[in-house]
Amino acid sequence: MDTDDIRVAVLLIEGTNNEGEVYLAFKRLGAEPEFVHLKQLMHEKDIFDYQCLMIPGGFSAGDYIRAGAIFAARMKSTLCKKLIEFAKNGYPVGGICNGFQVLVELGLLPAFDSVMSNYPQAALAINDSSRFECRPTLLKHESKGNCIFTKKIPYQEVVLMPSAHAEGKFLFPLEKKDEYLQYLIDNDQVVFRYVGPQGDYAGYPWNPNGSIHNIASICSPEGNVFGMMPHPERVFYGFTHPDWTRVHKENGDGKAVFESVLDYIRRKF
Amino acid sequence: MLYEVDLIGADDQQLLKISEEAQLGLSLSEMRRIKKHFLEKKRNPTDIELQSLGQAWSEHCCYKCSTQILKKFVFGIDAPQNILVIKEDAGVVEFDEDHAYVVALESHNHPSAIEPYGGAATGIGGILRDVVCMGAQPVALIDPLFFGPLDSSHVPRGVKHPRYLFSGVVSGIRDYGNRVGIPTVAGMVYFDEGYIGNCVVNVGCIGVVKKKHIIRSRVKKPGDLLVLVGGKTGRDGIHGVTFASAELNESSEELRGAVQLGDPITKEPLIHACLEVSNKGLLEGMKDLGGGGLSCVVGEMALAGGYGAEVELDRVPLKDVDMVPWEIWVSESQERMMLAVDPKNLKEVSKIFEEWDVNSTVIGKAIDEKIQRIFYGGKKIFEMDMEFLTKAPVYNKPFQIKAIERKDPPFEEPDDYGKILLRLLSSPNIASKEWVIRQYDHEVRASTVIKPLQGVLGKNTHGDATVIKPLESSYRGLAITADVNPSYTKIDPFWGSASAIDEVCRNLASVGAIPHSFADCLNFGNPEKPERLGELYSSAKALGYVAKALEIPFVSGNVSLYNEAPYGSIPPTPSILGIGIVSDIRKCITVDMKKEGNPIYLIGETKKEFGGSEYLKLLGISSKTVPVVDPKALKKRMDSLISAIKDGLIASCHDVSEGGIALCMAEMSIGGDIGARIDTGIIGNMRVDHKLFSESNTRWIVEVKHDLAREFEKKFKGALFRIGDVGGNNILIKNDDRTLIDIPVKELRDVWNAPIYDYMG
Amino acid sequence: MEADVTIILKKGVADPEGSNVKKALNLLGFDEVRKVQTMKTFRIDLATEDRGKAKKDIDEMCKKLLANPVIQTYRVEIR
Repeated sequence: MDTDDIRVAVLLIEGTNNEGEVYLAFKRLGAEPEFVHLKQLMHEKDIFDYQCLMIPGGFSAGDYIRAGAIFAARMKSTLCKKLIEFAKNGYPVGGICNGFQVLVELGLLPAFDSVMSNYPQAALAINDSSRFECRPTLLKHESKGNCIFTKKIPYQEVVLMPSAHAEGKFLFPLEKKDEYLQYLIDNDQVVFRYVGPQGDYAGYPWNPNGSIHNIASICSPEGNVFGMMPHPERVFYGFTHPDWTRVHKENGDGKAVFESVLDYIRRKF
Repeated sequence: MLYEVDLIGADDQQLLKISEEAQLGLSLSEMRRIKKHFLEKKRNPTDIELQSLGQAWSEHCCYKCSTQILKKFVFGIDAPQNILVIKEDAGVVEFDEDHAYVVALESHNHPSAIEPYGGAATGIGGILRDVVCMGAQPVALIDPLFFGPLDSSHVPRGVKHPRYLFSGVVSGIRDYGNRVGIPTVAGMVYFDEGYIGNCVVNVGCIGVVKKKHIIRSRVKKPGDLLVLVGGKTGRDGIHGVTFASAELNESSEELRGAVQLGDPITKEPLIHACLEVSNKGLLEGMKDLGGGGLSCVVGEMALAGGYGAEVELDRVPLKDVDMVPWEIWVSESQERMMLAVDPKNLKEVSKIFEEWDVNSTVIGKAIDEKIQRIFYGGKKIFEMDMEFLTKAPVYNKPFQIKAIERKDPPFEEPDDYGKILLRLLSSPNIASKEWVIRQYDHEVRASTVIKPLQGVLGKNTHGDATVIKPLESSYRGLAITADVNPSYTKIDPFWGSASAIDEVCRNLASVGAIPHSFADCLNFGNPEKPERLGELYSSAKALGYVAKALEIPFVSGNVSLYNEAPYGSIPPTPSILGIGIVSDIRKCITVDMKKEGNPIYLIGETKKEFGGSEYLKLLGISSKTVPVVDPKALKKRMDSLISAIKDGLIASCHDVSEGGIALCMAEMSIGGDIGARIDTGIIGNMRVDHKLFSESNTRWIVEVKHDLAREFEKKFKGALFRIGDVGGNNILIKNDDRTLIDIPVKELRDVWNAPIYDYMG
Repeated sequence: MEADVTIILKKGVADPEGSNVKKALNLLGFDEVRKVQTMKTFRIDLATEDRGKAKKDIDEMCKKLLANPVIQTYRVEIR
């Protein structure tokens, strides 16, 4: 299909607040994004009117209980079947920051054994520093081709996308940590890992939250459900990079994420 | 439920007792004036009428002590960019042909001193509403903060430790600002003993609005409906304004009812809904409910339109069902706005609020007589002339200007300048504020193009100003900075305040922005003490002096008096928010040094000015020579610098402020992760420590692109010194043949980075 | 009937909030503080007097929303 026919639902509830940036990223590339409130999907709007579902960042429902938990619970109770169907059909579902937390709480990620697990299989816990961390993060692209959101970024390339969160420490259940991590790697589900300026898997502050395996982003085994803590939509242009007065760049590193998913939809549907 | 208060029969002593017991905060002469009014009416007031007067006549609402001084000096600076200045809760200034920007700055000192987290958070909530009520989308938050020293060993009874206050205030701003999704992009943190008893928490907000969507805070015609939207009304925040208009003391904690917790998750949809109805042209007017709650907003909106109002108080949705009428009337519950709506638009307005899950209720209407009436349970419980209610007394209180002898005591020249530089870098007022800045989401909305921390990734330094690109379709930018140096104002309120304007302008020019407007938040002590009011007078005079000479208007502001505890007042703290315009954000530059071999210049003259300087504070010597300001020189140098940046001649630029030239160089190196070789021999005949650490105004250090140096030099006539080059791993400062400082940049960075983290964890 | 549901971090899961509070308390001079753990309690008022049903419902609530089993366990106390 043509780019200008691609409809992207930017999903929100109260407390979502990065929706404008995600909307603009798609709009600038010629697609048709639309703000959709979760409650609209219960009556007037249908998720299958869209080819892509994006859950932006923010503090949905105040992040009370746990980041993303209330948003996820409400999605599960109103939209569960359709959501599974949507993802099964290969439509892209993306979550950024709070959106990633929602997808993990929902069980759409990492989703080892079905499209949506009954209970979360991972968690995004409070940062090791116990603080909100707003800082530039460097990410090494580790997807060997599975993730449809990053196809335009070369394997092993280091990109800059800023982080801004208090709960971003990616964790597995302690007793299953090694096993689950192996699944992730074997399934080509690790998309981005935090690295230092030398491309090494560095500790804090380069890994801003203490995530195991320096995980910043993962996708589903099929590659069409994708979540990441850092914010690609904040670096669409070169001049929103934190060091653009030193290192000139026309395009921001985040642009490729949105180009990749549109490219995928154009080809597939 | 409702009481009549026997005022007519009360003598002076009883009048005072009434004021005290009902927490009205009114003086005897004010109580007498009210008594006289009701004598003429031949009746006693109801409790709700009396409470209403207490709110309307508080310093917080009507500036009865300060308004004359402000009128004389600060208001009324004419400029072509002014659209709506001083008159409303926020100033409206032209941004481009179709857009305006909106500026508001306010104090939230008293609530933050009692309950730092809630106090600061609700401060953010209030300032956002001030901007939204002009119809503008907030795009940036700013927060100048002032506390006692973090290492204070003991604090007086009833006062909270500066570390606790600092941590609580930052958390409050973080949690509210981050949750509503508006970036906190600029501000300052200052530590001084004068703030132990009263911390100062100022919050600013900038918004952007299409000119045709600007909304006034008034009703337009009789019959306009008053629609209350947002959260429910509760007992939280009763008497906030009377609380803010008195000194804090040990028992202030008991008045804790005056502080509330914010609810950003109600606020967020409220902002969306208000902006939607406003952008659709469905409103006649809009105003936020802040200090004084309904009692202030109804009267002010009606009077601004030239009318009166009638309100049915039982319609107000309540959190606590047993609230009595006066409590409903003066409650300062958060997250509420008042709309003036033409009846024909009501249906559509209600529908939009319903879609956003935000409550909206018609509670009254504008009427064609200048009277305010309130009905409750079908009964009239309040009837007052608008003029009497809102025309609070204005005072010309006595003030006293203290004489300042501009003299420095002689002192020995120290022998180890390297050590002094390192100690300066680790002083909490100079050290890195990364601990604060990174807790605020300063990038949400993806429009922060020049960030508060600048430089090589992971090796940042503080920027001078932050730049926002507010419009999708334009490269035009807004540069933002906030500043004041209380060490100066404490010694010399006049030159200290003038220096604040100079520094704000320097910061804006540093990124390439043309200073465009100011907002001021004047935090002072008890105005009933002549010397305190004298400080306010001198400060306002200086602000007006410099701003008028520069032809840059003050567009909004706020006065916070009574920042005084039994053992002393805060230093005079006129915190200044400066906004500049950048025609193309892609031309902006940052503080961090860029490239080996680029020449380094000093712009401006270095004089022996040490009053309030970090250097003499470190040496423990007191000095009175606060840096002076020459507005003409400021304007000239700024113009040359801005033009050089626009022409792309400059690689990095930093203004010279606390710690002087030595510190300025260190900060540029820390961000650029590269050294510099400097020789101060050229800048004049002075003792070398004067050259290194004097804090004379109107100076910058710039790194010029190597091949464009000659072109750069042509831009300046005088007051320009080529002092060295970028390069190496050390900061190497010489004076002719004598080496003064030679320290690796890494060592400087480590010392500068650590202090706040060490205190706060 | 009222129930207190306390959400607790599982053994071995880092508790940065707790360790930060501990540090702060030590800094304030409370040297005896050895460990601080954060837990979160929800007091839930249920319109039933059937304890068995309440227990079952709350279990469901925890699984569906209140706890993430990857890092958290919970304790229910019916008052």
